[in-house]
Amino acid sequence: MKSQNSRLMPPARSFANTISVAVLVLLATNSVITAAEVRSGKQVYDVSCAGCHASGVLNAPKIGDEQDWSKRERQGFQVLLTHALKGYKNMPAKGGNPKIEDKEIEIAIKYILANSGLDRYQQTSVAKQAADKAAQQKKSVNKLTTQQTRKSSVNSFNRLMKSADEWNLPPAEDGIHDPDNGGTYMLQKPKQAFETLSWSKSGNRVDWVKALDNNEISPRYDRLDDQVKPIVMDLNIVREVKGSMPDVVYPHKQHTEWLDCSNCHPAIFIPQKGANQISMASILLGQQCGVCHGKVAFPVSECRRCHSKQKTLKAAAEGKQSN
Amino acid sequence: MFKSRANNLIILIFILLVSPVVANAEYGDVLINNYSEAAGMRPVVFPHWFHRIRFRCKVCHADLGFKFEAGGNEINMLKIIDGEYCGACHNGEVAWAVENCDLCHTGKPGAPTQVHESTTYKLFAGSGKKKTGSAQ
Repeated sequence: MKSQNSRLMPPARSFANTISVAVLVLLATNSVITAAEVRSGKQVYDVSCAGCHASGVLNAPKIGDEQDWSKRERQGFQVLLTHALKGYKNMPAKGGNPKIEDKEIEIAIKYILANSGLDRYQQTSVAKQAADKAAQQKKSVNKLTTQQTRKSSVNSFNRLMKSADEWNLPPAEDGIHDPDNGGTYMLQKPKQAFETLSWSKSGNRVDWVKALDNNEISPRYDRLDDQVKPIVMDLNIVREVKGSMPDVVYPHKQHTEWLDCSNCHPAIFIPQKGANQISMASILLGQQCGVCHGKVAFPVSECRRCHSKQKTLKAAAEGKQSN
Repeated sequence: MFKSRANNLIILIFILLVSPVVANAEYGDVLINNYSEAAGMRPVVFPHWFHRIRFRCKVCHADLGFKFEAGGNEINMLKIIDGEYCGACHNGEVAWAVENCDLCHTGKPGAPTQVHESTTYKLFAGSGKKKTGSAQ
């Protein structure tokens, strides 16, 4: 093993490393940690260690690298623990999160070792069992199911719905960003950005219209000038629809907050009453409203946000007679 | 015109056959692999969510001329360094500049151009739900 002297680095490089570690740590700690209970090794690892130890960024030993970890472990577990608690080389103390309990750091190291081929760390300590139990209880309260519990559960068959732990994943885990790319870890995590924004049950799990209305976000209307106000047109268009579905109210207001007239008119919608044949089929195929809704604006599963005008009973009955 | 149609057809067939490459991407994330991989770079991931916090749709889709079509803008680095498309902001003045290659070129190698989590994609290419086990 390297001697303690190797901790000494040229000041400039050390400073740069500290900065980059700080940035990574800021990116990594996107969830607020309450130390009210001892969490499981996986929980601590996912939130506070994976940022570096999943990818090996900044020379962090990668989880799963048996050779590397067994070499480190031979120094004694206590050495690893001290390094993790007090910091070592590029690794800040407690991964940069002083709120983590010492006990949790210990459990997290054991979790990493157990997942790096060091089988003797698989045996669960009393503390870990307690932590796991607490975590399980918390999860069942929150109705968040982990991969493990889902596997053993009869209710695991759910082809179409994502569970809450699959929403807003960090870039490295979302399946489209390359975890081997260093830049992936520099990107903002969606959860961090969405923390203060109005919630929605679909799409990004953000109600963007509400977020804008409540000034939770202030996106520019002009590329350079953040003072330019949008040209908002307040005009509702009601479209009567077939069957029992409520009529559609199209609000120009919410759309012109974000968009320019030329975005829709005349290419997508002819600005003339009765000139546009719209159907759910074409929307689902990505045309008309579907150019944005179902791709980036709220998805078409939010029926009621468009079909919002209740038909009168009389109109509904007449519709039934004429059929 | 014919070429772009043929391209679309190829992309559609590709999506139908190869997918679902199951992912839990953020809604509206656009993966663009027009030229990147052929040029030895990772494909580009454009996060709509990140940009719409900072800019209204109109800035890119009206002022900068981005079409509402994944991969439909035929963007290349020359256009970007000349201040078109992404380069209108990613110039070191409004946003960070082009030297940060690996902040845009972050996509998994081999990933096709598409809007992630889109209804159309889900309808034609499977449920969009991650297959438990395969990715873990």
